[in-house]
Amino acid sequence: MARIGVYVCHCGSNIAGVVDVEKVVEYAKTLPDVVIAKHYAYMCSEPGQRLIQDDIEDHKLDRIVIATCSPRMHEETFRRAVAEAGLNPYLIEIVNLREQVSWAHTHEPEKATEKAKALVRMGVARAKLLEPLEKHKIRVEKGVLVLGGGIAGIQASLDLANAGFKVYLVEKSPSIGGKMAQLDKTFPTMDCSMCILAPKMIDCAHHPNIQLLTYSEVKGVKGSVGNFKVTVLKKPRYVDEKKCTGCLICMENCPAEAQNEFDECIGVRKAIYTPFMQAVPRVPVIDKESCVECGLCEKVCPTDAVNRAQKPEEIELNVGAIVVSTGFDVFDPSAIPQYGYKRFKNVITAMELERLVCASGPTGGHLTRLSDGRIPRSIAFIQCVGSRDKRFHEYCCRVGCMVTLKQAILAREKIPGDLKIYTCFIDLRAFGKGYEEFYGRARDMDIDFVAGLPSEIHCAADGSLYFDVYDRGTNKLLEVHADLVVLGTGLVPSGDLGKISALLHASRSADGFLLEAHPKLRPLESAMAGVFLAGVCQGPKDIPDTVAQASGAAAKVIDLLLSGEIDIEPLKAVVDKDLCSGCRICESICPFVAIEMKSEFVKGEEKLTAEVVEAVCQGCGLCSSACPTGAVKIQQYGNKQVVTQVQAALAETCAEGGG
Amino acid sequence: MSLVDLMSTAKPNFELRDRILLKLGGRELVNCYQCIRCTSGCTALKLLELKPHEIVKLVNLGLVEDLPSSDIIWTCVTCLKCVQRCPQKASPYHVIIALRNLAVERGAKVPEGYLKIVSQILETGLAEPPQKIVTSKMETVDRESAKLQKIKPPKQTFQAAFMKAMEEK
Amino acid sequence: MKIAVYWGCCIQANQFAYEMSLRATLPKFGVELVDLSESVCCGDPVKSVNEFAANFLAARVLALANLTGLDSLLVPCNRCHFTLSEAQNTMKKNPQTAQKIISLLKEEGLDYGPNIKIWHTIDLLHDLVGLEKIRKAVKKPLRGLKVATHVGCQVIRYSDLGRVDDAENPRKLDELIEAIGAEAVDYAEKLDCCGAALMRSHPDSALSLAGSKLKAVQGLNVAGLVVSCPECQLMFDAKQKDAGTTVGVKLNVPVVYYTQLLGLALGIGERKLGLHLNQSPAEVLLAKVSS
Repeated sequence: MARIGVYVCHCGSNIAGVVDVEKVVEYAKTLPDVVIAKHYAYMCSEPGQRLIQDDIEDHKLDRIVIATCSPRMHEETFRRAVAEAGLNPYLIEIVNLREQVSWAHTHEPEKATEKAKALVRMGVARAKLLEPLEKHKIRVEKGVLVLGGGIAGIQASLDLANAGFKVYLVEKSPSIGGKMAQLDKTFPTMDCSMCILAPKMIDCAHHPNIQLLTYSEVKGVKGSVGNFKVTVLKKPRYVDEKKCTGCLICMENCPAEAQNEFDECIGVRKAIYTPFMQAVPRVPVIDKESCVECGLCEKVCPTDAVNRAQKPEEIELNVGAIVVSTGFDVFDPSAIPQYGYKRFKNVITAMELERLVCASGPTGGHLTRLSDGRIPRSIAFIQCVGSRDKRFHEYCCRVGCMVTLKQAILAREKIPGDLKIYTCFIDLRAFGKGYEEFYGRARDMDIDFVAGLPSEIHCAADGSLYFDVYDRGTNKLLEVHADLVVLGTGLVPSGDLGKISALLHASRSADGFLLEAHPKLRPLESAMAGVFLAGVCQGPKDIPDTVAQASGAAAKVIDLLLSGEIDIEPLKAVVDKDLCSGCRICESICPFVAIEMKSEFVKGEEKLTAEVVEAVCQGCGLCSSACPTGAVKIQQYGNKQVVTQVQAALAETCAEGGG
Repeated sequence: MSLVDLMSTAKPNFELRDRILLKLGGRELVNCYQCIRCTSGCTALKLLELKPHEIVKLVNLGLVEDLPSSDIIWTCVTCLKCVQRCPQKASPYHVIIALRNLAVERGAKVPEGYLKIVSQILETGLAEPPQKIVTSKMETVDRESAKLQKIKPPKQTFQAAFMKAMEEK
Repeated sequence: MKIAVYWGCCIQANQFAYEMSLRATLPKFGVELVDLSESVCCGDPVKSVNEFAANFLAARVLALANLTGLDSLLVPCNRCHFTLSEAQNTMKKNPQTAQKIISLLKEEGLDYGPNIKIWHTIDLLHDLVGLEKIRKAVKKPLRGLKVATHVGCQVIRYSDLGRVDDAENPRKLDELIEAIGAEAVDYAEKLDCCGAALMRSHPDSALSLAGSKLKAVQGLNVAGLVVSCPECQLMFDAKQKDAGTTVGVKLNVPVVYYTQLLGLALGIGERKLGLHLNQSPAEVLLAKVSS
């Protein structure tokens, strides 16, 4: 025997405008075990909650059914309200009369009312079978793994470290800095990229709470939110970080060369190298593939830091949360042969141009052609190479237009005198703060904006390029001759994102980037508890948005771990060990990897039983429905509770046919 | 070769547009965002002013009244570059073919060459009759003297079947 | 290996050399051609008039191929190859159209065969016969012969349909040239269209397109232009004089079918390969071959 109170909310006119709430209340009174039934304009309001609390006391209610909007809106509110009145917060049942009734059947009020009655009947039947449950807490590690040392990772690390958390910043290349380190200037302010990045990089190096693990990769992740066990592989630098002073005499003396990845393979670097001058840590690595094993570096090193026999090192970390900030790759336009990339030397990507104009780049910042070192007297920029394209990447890369505007302005500033600049675009997107003004600045610099893209690019005997492009504005076909063509290649998901996604069980969206828990309301976390997303790994974006997202992700981590413990909701799967046969079906079917098999010795024999990792379980119910013995059940959603609801649904029906 | 008289406001004909979309068997056409790659690379642009992007946009906006009777739709060389290079699979070539079909349906002007070929096929099965070649050395060669097989005409049932097929819209 | 063959209209009407050279060379690789029981248009020119009727004609050709009992059909003409391939795709993707066409065919006692593999000269030689086999069979490698290739439009586009070679960087014809000892050069106008489709309605423009391409090839210092489609050959070879007039250039470019060069490399006589039928100065190229 239960004592049930039923409360039907008007939700203003959202529900009451369609459903006859009075009739529903009258009907509820006829249901067994319903002691009291009322309706009110806004149940979630203070007086609404007070109504329930007073009735719990006055009528000794022990189950509450609230027929209102979606539980996603106010379930927590009502749980708190009844808890304050001394009732276990898990003894309430929300019946959705808004999204499932009044909003879905706005034009059929009579039928909607009948449906409302049926749903209340189901809710009342189920309410009787609700069990009191308790949240409980688990202790969490106050360390954080930040995966990826670009600007996103750097920002997140600094925010977390400043808040008192221990941060392990893991970066696969020899230095932190990421793609931002490769840029010359940044839009729309034209700040020198390295000038604003380097101080943050140095802060990371010096911060007592940040441990830099560069030239390292994450190999394995076990555990769950609050308690991750991460295995990191430190690749051998063949230089002892503790002894190295960063004098780089070794680099000066090294005779071997290799393609310089940081300069987009324009120009060379040494076999023992730091990727760029402002590298953090300023400790070189030996690239064994190009190393000729002459031993000169070892000889000249003043601190005896070169150790050519260094071995890789495995490190185990215990962290409470993981921030993924692995960045992106740039689209390779070799996939579009008709644009001539790699076939014609003077067709380059935007990133290659970035290195050419950068003072630290292979030409010392002189914008010259790759084929003959001459200053170009005409440059054409082509937008949307590989983006907005069903054959390659359907999305807009978000930064391409601004990058081209920036590079066009830089070219104009770097090359005095005659210089013809064309930008060929579909739509020019300058959406951010100061962006339209930046576009205005470019329009004032004698840059020809051609509204149309070329179909193909050709090369003349002297290395200069030519192509036809039709302009929408003038309806004229232009024959463009350019000494240099710059392809606006988009940002694409990085090549090892598949590996990372698998390691962290963080899904990817259709466009290949990491999937956020909710695109509008939860853009900083993945669906995997404890894994947060920052920067382009979640989707293409510019530096301002990246930094904002990184700080946001850090805040989320702080929120999660600050108290040293986290609450675990009890609406999870539980395993009755006596019924568990150890078949492992639940383990294999769980999409969140929330079930582990534990082995115990029972009567001298090893028995495997399933155990739910509460922190990770999302209560989806897959295990429960798959379990052949009924050993796994979801709290509050056991077979009995579900079947009772179904029976209640069918108790009064005007359905015909069947048999 | 303008398609729309600029002195009067363009009026859409959505019914006709929907018929064209139906013929195309898909709605990819509506994805066109006027990137212009098709027109920039169109083989017929320089000589005959064919602008595939314009035709696609006109169809998308429903401004199709004048299209089937225009000369421009017969200038396409069918090189298929526009189909190959379109990033949205909008295929101007297929739209042009659909417009040509509509032109025939409506009795609008169709280049004679096409209609001649259809009658030729109806009569003989082939689009052109076998010819005699005169070589640069003034030698006359035909299939027989080149020791090639006689052409086998289609069986009797062909004509009726082809005519039936031509009735389908 | 037996394979059905569909010639189309152009080859049978006036491009005898293509048929002659194919019939002369393929048996050297064990390929036996089986003709269809009827000669009917593939439907390509009808597409502009009534697409359904065009698909019907194409499906009818495939039904005729089905009659031979063979599962492979060689289609040496680019336009026919495209038309048959597109029709095959339509029959697969559009059940309504397929139903109508199948019933029309049934009325003639014909059965549509959905699983016919459609080949072109280029992929038949490159992929099915294979470059190794061709190299081995060569008796007189065409050393020192530099040519430009023109693979055409409708066998490389559009990629989604599944075509004979890559749309932006077609290499198969060039590799076939190399397999017989010659050299194929790259050039900016390689993918330009011959303009054949415009002959029906805009002959001047068609000839202008052909003329522009030939003019570019003439400036390349090659022995000639090699094609693999009868319509392209018609434009570049038979209509070369007219094309030259249209673009105001005196054109003297030898234009030959790949299969004619293949035949020469295999030691087959010039007449058997129809080289006397070429209207362009093929003898200039032949002189380079024998020297």
